[in-house]
Amino acid sequence: MTRSLRVACLLAFTSVTKGNFRIALLTMLILILVALNLVFVPGLLDGLAWGANDKLINTYSSDIVIESGGSSHYISNVDQLLTEIEQIKGVEAVTARNYLGAEIEYEGKYLGAAVYGVNLDTEKEVFTIADSIVEGSYLDADDVDTIVLGIQIAGADNPELELYARSLQSVHAGDTVTVTYTNNMKKNYTVKGIFYTEFIQTDLQSYVSNTEFDTVAPYLVNNASVIYVKTSEDADSEEIISRIMSTSEELRITTWEDHAGLVDSMTESFKIIEIIIDTVNLLVAGITVFIVTYIDVAHRKRQIGIQRAIGITPAAITISYVIRAIFYAVVALALAMLIYKFGIIPLEARYPFHFPFGDVFLQISPFVLIRTALLLFAVSVISALLPVRGVIRTKIIDAIWG
Amino acid sequence: MIKVQKLTKIYNMGHVKVKALDGVSFSVVSGDMLAIMGKSGSGKSTLLRQMGLLDLPTRGRIFLGRYDVTRFPEGQRARLRLKYLGYVFQEYALLGELTAHQNVYLPGMMLGRSGRDYKEHAAELLKLVGLGKRINHYPKELSGGEQQRVAIARALINSPKVLLADEPCANLDTISSGVVMDTLVRLNHDMKVTVVFVSHDPADKQYARHILILGDGKIIEREGEIA
Repeated sequence: MTRSLRVACLLAFTSVTKGNFRIALLTMLILILVALNLVFVPGLLDGLAWGANDKLINTYSSDIVIESGGSSHYISNVDQLLTEIEQIKGVEAVTARNYLGAEIEYEGKYLGAAVYGVNLDTEKEVFTIADSIVEGSYLDADDVDTIVLGIQIAGADNPELELYARSLQSVHAGDTVTVTYTNNMKKNYTVKGIFYTEFIQTDLQSYVSNTEFDTVAPYLVNNASVIYVKTSEDADSEEIISRIMSTSEELRITTWEDHAGLVDSMTESFKIIEIIIDTVNLLVAGITVFIVTYIDVAHRKRQIGIQRAIGITPAAITISYVIRAIFYAVVALALAMLIYKFGIIPLEARYPFHFPFGDVFLQISPFVLIRTALLLFAVSVISALLPVRGVIRTKIIDAIWG
Repeated sequence: MIKVQKLTKIYNMGHVKVKALDGVSFSVVSGDMLAIMGKSGSGKSTLLRQMGLLDLPTRGRIFLGRYDVTRFPEGQRARLRLKYLGYVFQEYALLGELTAHQNVYLPGMMLGRSGRDYKEHAAELLKLVGLGKRINHYPKELSGGEQQRVAIARALINSPKVLLADEPCANLDTISSGVVMDTLVRLNHDMKVTVVFVSHDPADKQYARHILILGDGKIIEREGEIA
């Protein structure tokens, strides 16, 4: 076997360095395109999922969501609970919100929505909604009689919005809306700002300051409907949840993954699409590499016959083609990765794909890289082996003299 | 050394069967220099390919020493071709991507000799056939006669017992032919290698110790003492 391997290495090396350059170039170009395809599609889908999850965490759910698990809709004694949670290792920030159902009216149009009372000091440490203001400005801690609306509520004369038809359609910053809460409190608010996070569930929310909310529902002071916890990247969520649970038994705690239903089902569908695209891609690659190798081997049929005639074993000849195929695959994979990392990713970052929940940036994961490499090697080797085996089985005199 | 017994080869050319060899029998003793001659289509090359274990006869047997190698499996035939038989093709049959040196040492490498051994031996053989200064040239950089001498050196790399040469001078000019045939004679005389060569040129009789003349796949004349 060692002898066959040594001879195979020599034959493969000379075949690569002295063989037909155009055939080698064509084979590698095909493999580069296949590798790019194999990396690009999952990269895009991963980017989609990552983008959606990022929006979900930073504008809607944070990392951990705490609600009341008892008979009351509200978590009581919130100030003390927040202090305890802040001290847990791995917790970066905590904020609490109260909300009431309400009907918002503007120029004869009505819309049902939840109005949240937010703590402006801690809110900005957990969420990035304040960065998504497209009209006016965000709330300040002592604001009263003002409200900020999600764009899917305001409409903002933007008919391209997904929920424009059911929105208030023409509300802009500075306009006045009338809010009737479910506790029968009715108030006129000046719209201080409109935010557009591109995450529909968030853009359907509206916020007032806690100062304002306390005037609407003074009986909810030191209570909260929801507490949102932002954790550090390397935090152990399970451990944090367990610590929070130990502070009170009447809490219902969920993670951002539990709120990712839409993203999850989207990701599942994408995985199926990815498998179909990858299968077709690999079949096309396999057949193309097979044809290129077949033509190459057909040209070398006589050479292979001579090699066998002078005593080179079929194993050595076959291994030489396998080595050559792996070499082409390695070079193609390396070139594809360089093109992807230093060409496609920066280009896409400059001109990103825009999806309903924002810009999507290509991702690259070690799993996808390893899978791509293995698939590429397998396709190259199988596509190279089949034609070689055909020639190896031909009689020597037929291979040499036709 | 080599014994051919009632060897018959029939080629199926569609519906037509062509009898290229028809019950040929003879023996070649160790150290002999045998020429197989005859007109074009007489079966000379077919006979040499059977002796070189490149093809399977339809009937008859071939003995190498005491062993009937006619129906050996391909793996063993490859081993015999590598170790005991050197084959020189009419059209040189060098590997174009390898240098003269690599072409020569490739079968040595396959036999498993150490790198230094086969590389040095290949260089010596190339020197022996007069190409000591051209070992790093590729086949396309060599003349026909030089390529044929590289092919002879390659056939000798594993010190075969028998060297089979199929019309080694067919594509060469007179001067190159003389050099190639002189090389074969020298190998036979100095290295005691048994040489069997095929030629259609009556002038090549001068190089042989014994001669077989074929016609229509049969031996029609034997010159010298051939069993």
